[in-house]
Amino acid sequence: MNAPDRYERFVVPEGVSKVSYERDTKIINAATFTIEREDHTIGNILRMQLHSDENVLFAGYKLPHPLQYKILIRIQTTSQSSPMQAYNQAINDLDKELDHLKSEFEAELARHAVRQQREF
Amino acid sequence: MEGVSYQRFPKIKIRTVRDDFMKFELRETDASIANALRRVMIAEVPTIAIDLVEIEVNSSVLNDEFIAHRLGLVPLISERAMAMRFSRDCDACDGDGQCEYCSVEFHLRAKCINDQTLDVTSKDLYSSDHTVVPVDFSDSSSGFDNSDTRGIIIVKLRRGQELVLRAIARKGIGKDHAKWSPAATVTFMYEPEIYINEEMMETLTLKEKQDFVESSPTKVFGINPNTGQVYVHDAEAYTYDDEVIKKAEAMGKPGLVEIHAKEDSFIFTVETTGGIKASQLFINAIEILKQKLDAVRLSSDTVEADEQFGELGAHMRGG
Ligand SMILES: [Zn+2]
Repeated sequence: MNAPDRYERFVVPEGVSKVSYERDTKIINAATFTIEREDHTIGNILRMQLHSDENVLFAGYKLPHPLQYKILIRIQTTSQSSPMQAYNQAINDLDKELDHLKSEFEAELARHAVRQQREF
Repeated sequence: MEGVSYQRFPKIKIRTVRDDFMKFELRETDASIANALRRVMIAEVPTIAIDLVEIEVNSSVLNDEFIAHRLGLVPLISERAMAMRFSRDCDACDGDGQCEYCSVEFHLRAKCINDQTLDVTSKDLYSSDHTVVPVDFSDSSSGFDNSDTRGIIIVKLRRGQELVLRAIARKGIGKDHAKWSPAATVTFMYEPEIYINEEMMETLTLKEKQDFVESSPTKVFGINPNTGQVYVHDAEAYTYDDEVIKKAEAMGKPGLVEIHAKEDSFIFTVETTGGIKASQLFINAIEILKQKLDAVRLSSDTVEADEQFGELGAHMRGG
């Protein structure tokens, strides 16, 4: 009767954008990204990737409430960069890392099969 | 303006692979990646599971919804799942969720006609698609239980009882319902690094060494029977319980052993329900995580709006 929609937790509702960006009005080079229907999986990898960027002064994420299916990512950078640039860079780096991981895994899987064959 | 790349290049070493089990080492990355992959393997890699059941006849002892629930939990071969459509965004059937692009139909028909109890199992489910069938454990090379495997029992029927139904299986993810999770268990641990202060260890009597070795709840250390030397028997048996550290302190020998977790090395254990292969589960998890990252990229209109805002800001500041 009042059961919530089954996929409310991972399908972005119509008229809502997946990512929205809001500049900080008081601090220069600071902004908050609101990501709809994502959780710790994306939040934490983005935060950690941003920490390896030396132009990032602050990067943090929060899941405001377990029943609000969105995360907030806050970034402050030096004047050498911008929150948006750092955010895009973090996504690109993670994407490339996963590409590398995939080919590395497939190569290792093939090597492992060869090793296994030699044992018999 | 293109920034400097901070990309890492992780390494992988596989220890064991079987169809439904895999153990491997992941190095040169951080815990956030390891944990994201673990979370995706459990809750976001899609599989196929029975989602709708229409019962025609049910005179068994279990009620209709009980049977529907049990059918949902039967793992199905889900090699096709990655390429399949979710019923909610399938345009071929307008959200009906019963077309060939987003569903697989099953039929079950069983009746007990004698005094022998009839087991209705997953093998009585007839699929409309030969690539999507209940997981068969009987020829699994994983070892145990090779005699009398008749699939997964759904219900038992006595003389005269009957079960006839039609079921629709759909693509889904573990986040929606655990029946869609391809993972039985996915865990990772930090690789421990154990350092024994040999000089200090030699100041211990054999009895003290034995006490020290036995203070660990898991067999991490051993004593060489010939030389009486304490050695690391199995570093990975260590559960980060600190018992040996406390023991060393209690013996008045702080620093006898030092154990720390390597922050960039992880040992993964992946076990699946049999729906997809363990190695495929990991590959799919990488793919899904990539798709998720792609979905959170900023749209071009957001970027443009901000650039205008930036120019306006610069103008106002007198730039
Ligand atoms: Zn469809």
